[in-house]
Amino acid sequence: MRCERRILRYHSLKRGRVRQTWNKYNMFNIWRMRDKKSVIGTFFQQKWAAKAATRAYHGEHIKEKQWERMFSRRLLSAVNMDPAYMAKYDGSEQAAGRGSGRDVKPAKGKYPKPDLARNTGNAEGMTPYMQMTFAPQERRLDISVFRALFASSARQARQFVIHGAVKVNGKKMQHPGYLLNPGDLFQVDPEKVMIATGRKKSSKTESSSTPKTPAAEEDAEPAEEAAEAAEQPAEELSPEQLKSQHLEGLKQLHQHARKIIELNKEKLSGGHKKEIRELSKKIKEAMNRARKVGANVQETGDDMENLATLMSHLELTPAERAELRQQQEQQQAEAPAAEATATSPETTSSTPDYPQLRTRTPVPAAQTKFDRVESQILKRLLEEEKINPWDPSKPYATPWRPRPYMSVFAFIPRYLEVNPKICAAVYLRHPVARPGKTEIPTPFNLHVSQLAFNWYLRRR
Amino acid sequence: MPPRIRSSNCPPQQLLLNYLDAPLPSSLLPLHRPAVASSTPSLPSPCRRQQQTSSFSTSQPLEMTKPQREFRLFLKRAGKQFEKHEGNGPMYLSLAKPEGGNNTPFPSNKMFKSEPVLSSRARQMIWEAVMLQGMPLKAVSAQYHVDMRRVAAVVRLMEIEKRMEKENAPMAIPYARAVEKMLPRANLMGEEEPFEPINDVHVHSFTMQQLFVPVSESREFTRKDAAKAFGDHILPPDHKMRIPELVKMERDILSGVPQAQAEKDFLARTRESERLFAESQKYVAAKKEAKKLKVDTERFEFRIEKFNSQAVGKRGRARNAVGWRYGVPFNDRQKGLYKIPTSVG
Repeated sequence: MRCERRILRYHSLKRGRVRQTWNKYNMFNIWRMRDKKSVIGTFFQQKWAAKAATRAYHGEHIKEKQWERMFSRRLLSAVNMDPAYMAKYDGSEQAAGRGSGRDVKPAKGKYPKPDLARNTGNAEGMTPYMQMTFAPQERRLDISVFRALFASSARQARQFVIHGAVKVNGKKMQHPGYLLNPGDLFQVDPEKVMIATGRKKSSKTESSSTPKTPAAEEDAEPAEEAAEAAEQPAEELSPEQLKSQHLEGLKQLHQHARKIIELNKEKLSGGHKKEIRELSKKIKEAMNRARKVGANVQETGDDMENLATLMSHLELTPAERAELRQQQEQQQAEAPAAEATATSPETTSSTPDYPQLRTRTPVPAAQTKFDRVESQILKRLLEEEKINPWDPSKPYATPWRPRPYMSVFAFIPRYLEVNPKICAAVYLRHPVARPGKTEIPTPFNLHVSQLAFNWYLRRR
Repeated sequence: MPPRIRSSNCPPQQLLLNYLDAPLPSSLLPLHRPAVASSTPSLPSPCRRQQQTSSFSTSQPLEMTKPQREFRLFLKRAGKQFEKHEGNGPMYLSLAKPEGGNNTPFPSNKMFKSEPVLSSRARQMIWEAVMLQGMPLKAVSAQYHVDMRRVAAVVRLMEIEKRMEKENAPMAIPYARAVEKMLPRANLMGEEEPFEPINDVHVHSFTMQQLFVPVSESREFTRKDAAKAFGDHILPPDHKMRIPELVKMERDILSGVPQAQAEKDFLARTRESERLFAESQKYVAAKKEAKKLKVDTERFEFRIEKFNSQAVGKRGRARNAVGWRYGVPFNDRQKGLYKIPTSVG
C-alpha cells in the first residue's frame, strides 16, 4: 500500500506550517509561532484550524484515514507514589473528617510547619492530558527513529526504514508503520545517521577551513599518490643518502609536531585539523621510511608510540647527534640573516617528499624530546584525527561536524533510552502525561491540542 | 493530480507559448511583454517570475517577500547563536525569547520540557553496578533513581556497545560526542534532584471518574477501599508499586529497624525477588519446550506441537485458530493486503 503524500511548499514561510524536521525554515516557523489571544471563528472553524496545524507537524506523511484508525481517546498518564508516604499512611487520612481530610491546625511558633501527609515526587500543576492527543503516533518506528535523533526529519527516518537501514531486535524491519512494543530495541546504520546529522559536503567549505597555501593544495591530493612519490626516489638512492634523507625528514616531522602542539597549547581545540592530518600522514610515511632504513620500528598502530621510538632513535645515535649539532650551529649562524630577508633557509631547502612547512614562528630545533604535556596534546590530536578523519569518499563533510541549527532540535523524550554511539535505542514504555509535564514533543500549546483532540472524537 | 499553477503568475496563454513554436497573434500575449520577444526561444520561462508589476508602474519589484525578509533578519540576529553549537549544554529556541528559560525546545509549549538524559559516565556506572557488582536491577534503580526498565535498557545497550567495540564494528563516535554536548545530562552523582520517578503508577481510566460513596464518619476508608469502590478488578496502588520492597524498607524504618539493617534487608529482598522471577521464567520456558515433540533426523530437527483444531472461537474466526475452516477465507496471500508484524521476537 502506498501512503506517500506530496510535499507542496513544505517549509513555506507564507503558510508557516511547523514540520517534524531540523530545517532552518522550520526553525524560523517554530520561533514565530504566536499564541492566539482572541478566539476567531466558530468552534468548528477553530477545531479545523487546530487539526490542520497539528497534523502538519504530527505524522504529516501518514494518511488521514490511517491516523483516524490509530487515534485513541484513551490518554495515558502516570503518577509517582512515594514509598515513604505509602509506608506511613494508608490513605485513610485523606478521607478523615467529613470525607476530605481533617483541617490542619496552624502550628505555634514563628515559622509554622504543618505536618501534612504528602505524596512527593510529582511536579506541580495539572496533568496535560490534551497534549497526549498524538501519542499513538510516537509508537511508530519512523517517528521513534526521528525522536532518537537518528534522522533529521520524520520523512528521512521513514526512508531509512524502507531502505533497510533500521533493525528492530536485531532483525531488519522495513515497515515504517511498525508499532514498537515496550522493550523493543531499534538500531540504525551508523553511517546513515552520520549522513543525516552531518554537515553537507561542499567544495567551498572543505577548502575554506584552512588558509590557502601551496602546501595545503599539495596535501589535498590522494594519499596513495603521495606515498608512491615518497617511495620512488627511495629505490634509486644509496643507503647513506636514504639514511640522511630519513633523518632530515624526521627532523622536519618533529618540528611540525612541535608547531602544532604550540598552537594547541594556547587554545585547546582541534581547530588545526588540516595540519594534524598532514602530520599523521607524514608520521605514516616516516614509519615506512624507517622500516626501509632498518630501524626497528614495530607496526603497533599507535602513532604516538611509534613517533616516540623514532625520536629516540633519532636522539640516540652518537654520529647522528653530532651531525645534528653541527646542523644546529649552522642554522643559528644563518638565523639573523634569514630574519633580515624574511625567508628562512629551512623553507627554501626542502626534501622533495616532505611538503613545505608553514612555519610562521621559528621553532627551537634544539629540543628534540617532547615533555609529558606536549606528548599528551599530540596524542589527543592524533587520536581525534583517527576517530574523525578527513575522508573525501564520505557523502558528508569530513571531519564530521553536526549540521547547522541541530542543537535547536536536540532533545530526547523520556520514553526512549538512546545510545548514540552505536545508534541504537530502546522504546521503554508508551509515553505518558505526568502532573505538570508531557512526554509528547509538540510545538503546540494546550489549547490547540485540545481543539485537535476534539476534532478527532467521533462526534465533532 | 495535475500540477497546480497559480493563475496570477502563469496565465494559460504564456503556458501555451512555451509549447508552441509558431508565432501567436499579439492579442494572446500579455500586455507588458513585447511581442517581438516571443519569437526568441532562449527567453526564460515567464513562470519563473517572482512578482508581477503593473504595466504603468515604474518602481522596481521587491526582491523578497515580507516573510522572506523576516527570515533573513532572524538568521542574522536572533537565530545567529544557533547556527553552530558551542559550549556544553542545550541551546533551544526559548533562549532567543524574552521569557528566557532553556529547557523548552518549543517556545509556545511550556508543558514539554527537554529532560536530562543519562551521561555516558552515568551509563557506565549503571553497567558496572549490574554486570560487575552483580546488584539486582531493583536495587540499582532505587540507588540512582532511574526507572528499572531504563536500567535494563542501559545494560542491554552497553553490552551491544562493548561487543561492537570488540568486533571493531563502525560506530558514530563524533556524532555521539556532539549529541551529548547538545543535550541536558544527568551524571547521577547524587547532588542533583532524582533523575526520574521510579515508582510510578499507571492511572486507570476507571479511577478518572468522580464517585460519591457514602461512608460512615467512623470508618477508616483506605486506598484499598477506594480501589474497590471504583471497580472490583481495580488494584490499590500498593499492589501496583514497581519496587514494593522499598515500601517494606520504609515500613521497617518506621517500626524502629536501624537504617543500615533496613537497607541490607532491602538488598536481600530484591535479590530474592529477582531470583524468583528468573526461576519462574525458566520454568515457563522449560514447560513450553517439554510440550514439543522433537524428532531428530540427519538433516533436520522436526519440532511437533499439539494443537486443538476445535478451539476456533464462537464464530470460527479466532485469531490463533489453526487450519482451514469452511467459510473463513485465508487472506494472507491476497493482493493489496499489507500486513505489518505486531511484534519482533
